[in-house]
Amino acid sequence: MFLYNFKYELKSLLRSKWLFLLSTILLIVMLFAGYNGKQKVNKRIEDFSKITAQTEERDAVMLHVLDSLEKGLEVNMSNNLLPNNPMNVGYRYPKVAALQPKPLTFISVGQSDLFTHTVQPKIYGDNFSYNYSELSSPVQLLFGSFDIAFVIIYILPLIIIAFSYNILSKEKEYGSIKLLASQPISIYSWLLQKVTFRFFWLTLITSVVLLITFIINGFDFGDNMGAFLSLIMITTAYILFWFAIVLAINIFIGNSAKNAVSLLGIWVFVILIIPATVSQLANLAYPIPSRTKMLAEVRNVKKEIAEKQDKILDNYLRDHPEYASTGKEINYSFWHRYIASQNLAEAELKPLLASYTEQIENQQSWIENWQYISPAVIVQQSFNNLAGTSSAHYQEYKKQVVAFSVKWKDFFTPLLYKSQPFRKKMYKNLPMFEYQQPKIASMTFNAFIILFFSALILTFSWLFFNKKSEKGTLIN
Amino acid sequence: MIKTTNLTKKYGDFIALKNLNLEIKQGEIFCLLGANGAGKSTTINLLLNFIAPTSGQAFINDTDVVKNAKKTKSFLTYIPENLMLYPTLSAVENLDYFLGIGGGKFYKPELEAFLEEAGLQKEAHHKRIQFFSKGMRQKVGIALAIAKDAKVLLLDEPTSGLDPKSSNEFGELLKKMRKNNVAILMATHDIFRAKEIGTHIGIMKQGELKHSFATDQISLQDLEKLYLETMNLNEV
Repeated sequence: MFLYNFKYELKSLLRSKWLFLLSTILLIVMLFAGYNGKQKVNKRIEDFSKITAQTEERDAVMLHVLDSLEKGLEVNMSNNLLPNNPMNVGYRYPKVAALQPKPLTFISVGQSDLFTHTVQPKIYGDNFSYNYSELSSPVQLLFGSFDIAFVIIYILPLIIIAFSYNILSKEKEYGSIKLLASQPISIYSWLLQKVTFRFFWLTLITSVVLLITFIINGFDFGDNMGAFLSLIMITTAYILFWFAIVLAINIFIGNSAKNAVSLLGIWVFVILIIPATVSQLANLAYPIPSRTKMLAEVRNVKKEIAEKQDKILDNYLRDHPEYASTGKEINYSFWHRYIASQNLAEAELKPLLASYTEQIENQQSWIENWQYISPAVIVQQSFNNLAGTSSAHYQEYKKQVVAFSVKWKDFFTPLLYKSQPFRKKMYKNLPMFEYQQPKIASMTFNAFIILFFSALILTFSWLFFNKKSEKGTLIN
Repeated sequence: MIKTTNLTKKYGDFIALKNLNLEIKQGEIFCLLGANGAGKSTTINLLLNFIAPTSGQAFINDTDVVKNAKKTKSFLTYIPENLMLYPTLSAVENLDYFLGIGGGKFYKPELEAFLEEAGLQKEAHHKRIQFFSKGMRQKVGIALAIAKDAKVLLLDEPTSGLDPKSSNEFGELLKKMRKNNVAILMATHDIFRAKEIGTHIGIMKQGELKHSFATDQISLQDLEKLYLETMNLNEV
């Protein structure tokens, strides 16, 4: 039966132009989605290249000036730009802290393009803790642009539904089921094979279309084959899940029109309602404090601190005797007061920022825990993780930027308080930012969970089938 | 070859078939006559194990149709009122498919020979079924029976809607099958065709087999009279 089903199902599909239509639709939407995602990634790369080039150019000038100053030559530069002053280096010559796109970022841009991916922490100004608070909900990162993830998660199930919503009901309505059932075969095996072949063809077409899209977008398969295969694995599991649903509905309902309506209802439930509910519950369980209120509080704290900067400096030097006892007379400048007051401001604002971070992290872990109730959320989370655009990636980036900002300040503070100049040889010791990828859930585990859903549905469909066979309502 | 003992099917309080005892031997054509809802199709559905009996037993080639459904189906061919084959496949391909899924393997010339034996013109062998008339589709069904070397043929109103010429051709094919020792059970409304091709006739009403006799024991006029009397008798 297997070979005959395979041969004639393919013939029927080819003659009815279904495979051609399916491939064409998928190819068009996938290419457009790939192009769309790539454009956003290119913009990010462009921004990064631009800022990196500017930084390198500025650093080259700085090194040249330092060289001249160390040789005792005269330099035509304003005092507040001279790089032998460590505070000028800390403020005027910052390094780039970027969250660079991963090779697969273009597959799942989501709404990540709304966020800052390239910053330059300086010795003056905020440590960037406040700058990211626009990320009110990690769920917002889940669904967004018309990218490859959108095509796979939203459009592919619709194609599967259109392709197979009447796979059994058509036979019943047309009348061929009786002839089939009079053959010495198991109708369940026959149906399962038919669904399996359609699953096989659609998976093959999707994989080929993805391959073409990736090739066109210049994807480097050599270094990233594992990531590409993970994408195919998750996509295949997701396609299987939808075919299992289609099979169950065909057995359970058995009328083409009702099948179509039921499948669309399930599509809305799995893809729209469950993620939206998870998001709303996350907001309800862990509401994020008002950003306006936070900014007002930040301003108040800073204002209070600015008013008592001398006292703060005294306290700071008491806490840091290594800076106070230099043995020589120091004229405390704006920078001395600023650094001291900044530390106090950060200490005072820490609980406020922590409440934000904590709620966002709580929401994130809520999503991570509840993602498993919908394969659509699992797939989106998996794609975001592969693309490096997940909330976890962005939270990690924020943390690392804040840490880098502290490191940057700590590099210059001793030089300031010990009245030491910045020297050319110190350049290579300047802190550099390198983003460390966060630990993410295993793709195989996610695929396994989706397969578990499929197995569960297939078991139920088999039970429905037996019940209907006993009643005789499957054929008549 | 076909045997039922006290075969009964109930749907709640409604009795679709009541204690049917039937035996059709090799080379016999048993025509079941009766109005709609008389139990003709229920009998065929029970023999095909499409529905489970409430009580009683049915056998095809001495094999219980419930206990060994797959095995009994390998002995029979079923031709419903509208034989719906796959419209995008040709006659040869449909034949190949339905034989293939059941485990049969035939080469193209053999398939063409079966179709020819069933009376389907050569030009139609490789045409898509979507362009076939009902009579042509029924011939593909007969070819399926020939190819399977079926011992039993179950026909559910196969001539309804066929023009007289096609109906006659179909009758001749059944006679040919009978000569090959096939046991045939045909549910029909067509008294004339039943008398003409049947070896035995049964008249059903409200799930019961009211009369059963050999065709040569009765004239067409008497058959028609008996049929009408049976129908009217039950209505009074």
